Amino acid sequence: MASDKSDLLQGTLDMLVLKIVALEPAHGYGIAQRIQQISREVLQVQQGSLYPALHRLEKRGWLKADWRASETGREAKFYSLTRLGRKQLAAEAANWDRLAGAVQMILKTAE
Amino acid sequence: MFFRKKLEWQLDSEIAYHVDRVTQDYIARGTPPEEARRRALLEFGGAAQIREDLRDVHRSRLLADLRQDLAYAVRTLRRSPGFLTSAVLTLALGIGANSAIFSLIDALMFRPLPVVSNPSALVQLVRVIPQHCADCRVSYPLYEYLRDRLTSVSGAFVVQDIASSITIDGIDEDVYGDEVSGAFYATMGLSPAAGRLLLPEDDAVPTPVAVISYDYWRRRFGCNPAAIGKTIAHAGTILTIVGVEPEGFPGIEPWRTREFTAPLSMSDQLGGGNGKWKREWDMNSLEMMARLKPGVSIDRANAEIGSVFAAWRTDKSRGLHPLFLRERFLHERAAALPGLAGLNGLRVDFIKPLTILMGIVALVLLLACANLSGLLLARAAARQREISIRRALGAGNNRLLRQFLAESALLAVFGAIAGFAAAQWFARALVHMMANGDVLALRPTPDWRVFAFTAAVSALACILAGLAPGLKAGKTHLDPGLRQSRVVGSHRRLGRSLVVVQFAISMTLLVGASLFIRTLVKLYHVDAGVRVGGVFLFNVSSKHHFSDARSVEIENAILDRLRTLPGVVVASAANILPLGNGLWTREVKVEGYAFRPGEDDTAAINAVAPGYFAATGTPLILGRDFNERDESGPAHPAIVNQAFVREFLSGQPPIGKRVTSNDVTYEIVGVVKDAKYENLRKGAPRTLYFPWLELGNQPMGYNYLARVAGGDPMRLAPLMERAIPQIDSAMRVRQPGTFQDVVDQSLLNERMMATLGGFFGLLALIVACLGIFGILAFQVSKRVNEIGLRVALGATRGSIIGLVLREVLLLLVPGCALGAIAAAFLTRFAASFLFGVTPTDPAAFALAVATLAAATLAAGFLPALRAARIDPMAALRCD
Repeated sequence: MASDKSDLLQGTLDMLVLKIVALEPAHGYGIAQRIQQISREVLQVQQGSLYPALHRLEKRGWLKADWRASETGREAKFYSLTRLGRKQLAAEAANWDRLAGAVQMILKTAE
Repeated sequence: MFFRKKLEWQLDSEIAYHVDRVTQDYIARGTPPEEARRRALLEFGGAAQIREDLRDVHRSRLLADLRQDLAYAVRTLRRSPGFLTSAVLTLALGIGANSAIFSLIDALMFRPLPVVSNPSALVQLVRVIPQHCADCRVSYPLYEYLRDRLTSVSGAFVVQDIASSITIDGIDEDVYGDEVSGAFYATMGLSPAAGRLLLPEDDAVPTPVAVISYDYWRRRFGCNPAAIGKTIAHAGTILTIVGVEPEGFPGIEPWRTREFTAPLSMSDQLGGGNGKWKREWDMNSLEMMARLKPGVSIDRANAEIGSVFAAWRTDKSRGLHPLFLRERFLHERAAALPGLAGLNGLRVDFIKPLTILMGIVALVLLLACANLSGLLLARAAARQREISIRRALGAGNNRLLRQFLAESALLAVFGAIAGFAAAQWFARALVHMMANGDVLALRPTPDWRVFAFTAAVSALACILAGLAPGLKAGKTHLDPGLRQSRVVGSHRRLGRSLVVVQFAISMTLLVGASLFIRTLVKLYHVDAGVRVGGVFLFNVSSKHHFSDARSVEIENAILDRLRTLPGVVVASAANILPLGNGLWTREVKVEGYAFRPGEDDTAAINAVAPGYFAATGTPLILGRDFNERDESGPAHPAIVNQAFVREFLSGQPPIGKRVTSNDVTYEIVGVVKDAKYENLRKGAPRTLYFPWLELGNQPMGYNYLARVAGGDPMRLAPLMERAIPQIDSAMRVRQPGTFQDVVDQSLLNERMMATLGGFFGLLALIVACLGIFGILAFQVSKRVNEIGLRVALGATRGSIIGLVLREVLLLLVPGCALGAIAAAFLTRFAASFLFGVTPTDPAAFALAVATLAAATLAAGFLPALRAARIDPMAALRCD
């Protein structure tokens, strides 16, 4: 089971978080769940990196946070994307596409 | 505070929410609740660690941490009062000594004259005679010459100080004052506190007016405006008080107390002069100051005064005779010195010793830093376990470093406060030492600059001291620290090199101290041609001058009275006493001696009463002393010293030879041993003594002295204080003292350097001993099982003590070597202070090494003894 799970590449966590939050505001637990679900359990988010990342992004002004009732009825901290965050996401996604394309090309040539 | 709480609460609930949701997930999948929670927590990883990381993200944390760090530092410091005390004392010593010297240098050099308008434009105009003086006074004609020609300065004025007995409202008082030329107050830019200040008109023709200082106005008149119009009677002259100086104006010599100011043109009436000073171009008795014109730099003023003085010199040297004087005169220059802080006199006297002292205390500060760093390091080593635990609990390197810095900062604050207090005390002690019984109104009150300096030095010292152990702590390995406190190698190396540094600095200071002390001892053992012990001295002041006949009467009466006091062996008087400040010189013609062209044809002269040589303890070698009949007889007897005979009469019998000076032909009746008059370093000048009354001075113009058979010569002081007013009611005793006081005064700088050098050397020794004691005690405690094993294997007590003391030697040798190199380099700067020793005097170096070795081995003996007493069984069992 451990073998088909991958650790996140350095720096990609921020981008994934921004993407998830772009869909709809979410709390930390929700974001971790969503990443796991969407990646069909391939990507496993370490809570130890998730929360510092969230706080960092908030500090940078890419995310904003507010406390509201969650689906369980209990108060949770919901993160949502700011305008600055949306720009950052676009930039990071474009960058990722370029990088992934390049890696793909190399792998194909090598075959 | 509120914000921090809120943040903590938010972090907690955010994490709690997550853990609860994961727990729910596990429960939903059928895991029992408790197991579910455990797994959720496990999956979350170190919650404390994450919380710490989250706090890291938020900047406000820093403040919160600081508060936490400080609170923690206070707690830990309170738990170790010994460490706290030694650290704060070390800092107080380093900082206190530094800021005291700094505040003195500041008071002497940089503190602008208060109240004066734009003091930075003030300059002092001086003559400079190479190797003689850097701030020589000027003559009245030279003042006029410069004043009328210089274009770079304006408002030139001259001042001379006077000490006088005055009477106001029938009350007598001894006061100090200034005689100033017309431009004085205008150039200073002052406005009166009451009445008016002196104007140029007051000086143009002698006008009997005076201005009093604000302090005197308050002290004597309680700031009563009625003081204006009162009269000051002095020496038969009546001055009318016309005004009061503004509050806080200290005059142009801020270290001197002063009560009144009178026009310079009144000088003859006040001082009994004959107006010669105003005409003679080489009677240099005045201090001159002026103000730079706007936009003119002091360099330009210097260039101008240089060329103007060159013209004056050419003019005056033309008719100059003898040739010798001409040679010296041609090397004279004139210069403009900064006048921002007033005249430069005291600065010239003390700047050299203060600069050397600044160097010494800088070393002391360095030593204090090394010592403090060592203390903090030893403490860090002792706290290995605590540090390991804090790291295991998730404290980052930065956090640990900050913790150490917080502790250092706290120490710095305590150190600064203690240092500040120490500085005040120390500066007062120094001023007291410099004044040497006189009044020296130097006010080294620490102002904000001194405090800033103190705080900066203190903070820097602590940050440096805190940084090393703090950085070390970051490298502490988690594991060994927790298991057992084993000394980390690099830790130990740093500690040892700090001790080496302490040894080196102590060695340097000890070499300096022994050089200064040896200098002083050698100077006290110099044969000055006098016997210093058991001599009482005084001179007299008078409210008015006496006729020539009355003067002679009084002078004889004083000696008669002095002779009859109990215990007096011989009483006498002289114009100038040995080791005062040197004698006058006069041109002489000596029978049978032909001067070569350009040769110095002057001899030192002194006017002495019968019994003078017996009183000073100068042996009579040939012929006879003066006696009472010499004064009235037609012949003019003279006594010369050995140097005089050696240089002018070599090989010839001196008695009966004739010497002509000032149109009087003397016959030599005696030869005395050489006596030093200027100071102990300089040789005795060739000297011609003639009978005192021939000089025709007022009774105030002589020093009276009495040699006593035993006991304290000062016991004569109260007797003479009663006797003098009985001789003439206008007179009183001034400056009663002993010959020893005069010698001590002449060695003021040397005594200061020896005392302070010795003091700091001793302190350095104590600090170094504490340093080595600390490090050895620590090492012994860490090597208990090794030593136990050695003892178990048969090592004797002696060999264990040797083992520990070997550590001392291992540090002592490089320390002494480094210190010797540093000392050899540094002592050169103090060379001009030394006497009878060279800056690299081997004995001084050997003494320093011996002292340091003896002291540190003694300090190391206690831990060594403890090591030797280790019980092998207990030692082996303990870890």
